[in-house]
Amino acid sequence: MLKFILSRMLMAVPTIVIVAITVFTLIRLIPGDPAALMLGDLAEPQQVAALRSSLGLDQSIPVQFMIWAGNLFSGDFGKSIVTGEPVLHLVLSRFAISAQIVVLAVFIASLVAVPAGVIAAWKQNSLTDLALVGTATVLLSIPTFWLGLLLLLFFGLKLGWVPVLGYVSVTTDWKAGLIYMALPVATLFIHEMGVLIRMARASTLEVLRLDYITHARAKGLSEQAVLWRHAFKNAFGPTWTMIGLILGNLLGGIAVIETVFSIPGLGRLLVDSIFQRDYPVIQGCLLLVAFAYVLVNLMVDLLYPLFDPRVTAE
Amino acid sequence: MKKILLAGTIVMTALGIAEAREINVAQSSDIRSNVPGVNRDGNTDSVIFHLVEGLVGYTENGDVKPLLAESVAVSEDGLTYTFKLRDNVKFHNGAALTAEDVVWNWNRYMAEDTKWTCRADFDGSRAVKVTGIEATDVRTLTMKITAPSAVFLGLMARPECGYTGIISPKSIAADGTFIAPIGTGPFKWGEWKRGEYVRLIKFDDYVSPPNDGKPDGMVGSKRPLVDGVKFSAIPDASTVKAGLQSGALDAAEVSADLVAEFKDNAAVQLIMQRNNGKNLLYIQTRDPVLSKPGVRRAMAEALDLDQLVAAVSNGTGAVNPSMVSMDSIYYSDVQKKKITTDLEKAKADLAESGYNGEPITIIANKRGNVPSYPAAVVAQAMMQQVGLNVQIEVLDYATQVDRRRSGKYQVISQSVTPRLDPALMYSFYVGSKDKNASLMWDNPKAIELMESAYKEADQSKRQAIFDQFHELMLEDVPGIFLYDLIDIWGASKKLHGTPVWQSNVRVWEVSLDN
Repeated sequence: MLKFILSRMLMAVPTIVIVAITVFTLIRLIPGDPAALMLGDLAEPQQVAALRSSLGLDQSIPVQFMIWAGNLFSGDFGKSIVTGEPVLHLVLSRFAISAQIVVLAVFIASLVAVPAGVIAAWKQNSLTDLALVGTATVLLSIPTFWLGLLLLLFFGLKLGWVPVLGYVSVTTDWKAGLIYMALPVATLFIHEMGVLIRMARASTLEVLRLDYITHARAKGLSEQAVLWRHAFKNAFGPTWTMIGLILGNLLGGIAVIETVFSIPGLGRLLVDSIFQRDYPVIQGCLLLVAFAYVLVNLMVDLLYPLFDPRVTAE
Repeated sequence: MKKILLAGTIVMTALGIAEAREINVAQSSDIRSNVPGVNRDGNTDSVIFHLVEGLVGYTENGDVKPLLAESVAVSEDGLTYTFKLRDNVKFHNGAALTAEDVVWNWNRYMAEDTKWTCRADFDGSRAVKVTGIEATDVRTLTMKITAPSAVFLGLMARPECGYTGIISPKSIAADGTFIAPIGTGPFKWGEWKRGEYVRLIKFDDYVSPPNDGKPDGMVGSKRPLVDGVKFSAIPDASTVKAGLQSGALDAAEVSADLVAEFKDNAAVQLIMQRNNGKNLLYIQTRDPVLSKPGVRRAMAEALDLDQLVAAVSNGTGAVNPSMVSMDSIYYSDVQKKKITTDLEKAKADLAESGYNGEPITIIANKRGNVPSYPAAVVAQAMMQQVGLNVQIEVLDYATQVDRRRSGKYQVISQSVTPRLDPALMYSFYVGSKDKNASLMWDNPKAIELMESAYKEADQSKRQAIFDQFHELMLEDVPGIFLYDLIDIWGASKKLHGTPVWQSNVRVWEVSLDN
């Protein structure tokens, strides 16, 4: 098992390196000078040049990359050009905020959507199936920013149940934190539920057609036993992989949700940093995203044997 | 259903979060730092505005008056400024302000390590050279400059310079790191949750400078009438709108397209205030096509400014063809002169200039708080009427800044933040393009007039300079000025007072009903 984990981590290294080189190069090819943006309208060209020099931006891109990569090995992700904060602390603190929302939303979506998908497959072509598939398709089709705004206007503005803006961390005040998280989590939950219902339904349908299911039924097992004991275990594998992919994607940034609900998460930090051309923060964010993606998928793979005994970590 | 809604409301109220009543103001982004005049932007300036004060400050009409100073005396040769400090000023930590504190601040600002944005304005490399500062007694200090200057005091009072705010030396830790600004302003530093908000607390011991009971720019009556102010970073316009409507926000800048909706809103009042900022078409006079004055003149003649401004500002703006703001004491009848719409003359000018339909690109951005894009669209339509082949290129703001700084543009639909003295406004546009490619106009006569405006202190002589400058600009057409920026704000109807001035949040003398 340990060997498997290590080999997977090693396999991730080239991915991270490619991400690092690509991000580092591309962001510097985009027009826009962080020094000019920082100094504002008043700055003379000499002042801009001096700041560029102090930030090391006057060096060639390969030299800048080597300095940055060298610092990374000693755990130094650099400092934000805009605020001067250490990048690692900044991105980790913002990541923690995004992760709370994403993990909770995906967890609830899985709890609801997977059984719903299994039931839809079990009741294929019935009114229940039609209703569940129809709902899933509608949920999938709604853009998250629009859904978020609708929820905000209805539950925040019209009913006044939740605050329309602001953020409180659950670690500071769990009660207030949960209230502030309610709408962003609900938005993500509703959207991702659509994907998961369809996935669970499709994979369950595939399994229900297999011979061993017919055999189980022929043995006289109840439908419940057939469905949950025999069909579900085998059908859950692809859905589990999908949950991993969704988690990885969302951890990579829910910038739109964070912007709508004014949450200071990783996605908003990334977008703000792109507008401000804050190179070290952009690099830090994207490296963390790539790493999170690799880690989540590794964990998905490690847990896979729990659901599908045919698959082993080895 | 009604029972469910009622139950939901009861549950959520029971779980409800008790909120302290303070003015909650939205800003489009978090502040960059809390160090006055260092690593700043407009949002940062707004927060600093409430914390610190300089020796002098601008009034509403662009005049400069004492703020921490009680009086400012200028020697006959114009080279020595004597500031007498008010005797009732305290820092937020309770310590009394002394002349030595001012000297310490000035030396700190001028030290290279401080990285003060405005250092170049006072070290002789740009406008003024300060050769010495000295505390002559506990309430008096003198500053010496090398040549008479009309803008020395005005330069110190600028937002970009952090108002040259005087802070207590206790703001800096023993190791030289900046802790938080301990200033003399009506609010003191509270808390900064990065990415979320900055909270300031009312300074109970604050004493306003002499006043007539009303706020007046940076001076006048400055009483803090609320317990605190929270500057919330909310980048999304829809969220800001919902925040205002729900009462979660007390005040926020809104876009011009919300004017109609908020005009008769039950919960939100609309606040519109003109400032000294500018909206203009910024022209590259070194471009092969636009280097011909006839083409530039034809562009101006093609524009129906009244229609353009009405459309672009949703009826909130008024045409101002001058670099001088309409609210300035220097806005004379000459400044109102403009190039009149004349489509036939525009066509004739184009023909005379040998224009053959070469493309002209207007760069615009789509930031919600400036009319860059709509102004470009309307200008394009009007210019096409006379045969100008105008295209629009939409860029993000960072790229637009880059293009302007490098001089690689033809026309930019640009908004420029307020500068309260016309000479300071000129400095954004005028000067040698060989030294600074971002500048718009390098006519030697214009440069000479700008330099005169920097030196000349007499108001009537300055007026003559500004008028001559405007006439020259109408002749040369290095840019087309459209209208002064308008601050359009939504605010709770419980809020009394005007929470904005010159695009800065200003919440002293602003109160909130319970």
